[in-house]
Amino acid sequence: MNNKPNIPEELAPGKYYSIRTELKVNGWCWVAVLTSFVNEAILLPHHMDWPVALRAVIALIPWAASLLWVRSVAGWIRGMDELHRRITLAACLFAAIATLFVVVGFHLLVVAGVFSPKFQATTGFVIIWLVVCFYILGQSVFNRRFK
Amino acid sequence: MKNKLRELRAVKEWSQSDLADKLGVSRQTVNAIETEKYDPSLPLAFKAARLFKLPIEEIFSDKD
Repeated sequence: MNNKPNIPEELAPGKYYSIRTELKVNGWCWVAVLTSFVNEAILLPHHMDWPVALRAVIALIPWAASLLWVRSVAGWIRGMDELHRRITLAACLFAAIATLFVVVGFHLLVVAGVFSPKFQATTGFVIIWLVVCFYILGQSVFNRRFK
Repeated sequence: MKNKLRELRAVKEWSQSDLADKLGVSRQTVNAIETEKYDPSLPLAFKAARLFKLPIEEIFSDKD
């Protein structure tokens, strides 16, 4: 049985990219992104008359999908070899902290009236993309140390 | 940490991919260890020692 470790390149554009791995690891992320967009931009703003419980369940679908995404990412990282695991965990930490700083900074600017509060309507959708972008940046930076 | 992985691999005529497969790691990890950019974990160092049938100290050294 082939027990080759997972490699981060399977999720990056290039010769090692694997659609199968993409769906297995990031499938729930795509569900979270799509449902977040539908909820925040299309569904909920136009149906505020729906029962509270129903709106709460609809609003939390992307959140639940995100939890399942984190679970599949954790499993994928566990299957990596030690160097890739170190690089990927560092990239994940960088992505989480950088996203937190951007979101907090944006919120402070909304409170100060620099940006309109209506932009927060798509925050969930934007946060996921920020995490992904910062993760890609982190992978690139931390990978260079070991090449 | 200095190591003799490259020399030992050359004696066996293994590529980095061959060694990576035998150690259960990626080729990038083998390359990073050989270029001394990454120090392997203890389990991985023991695995390498068992593979080459040498004591760990003969493969890895922290002395200049």
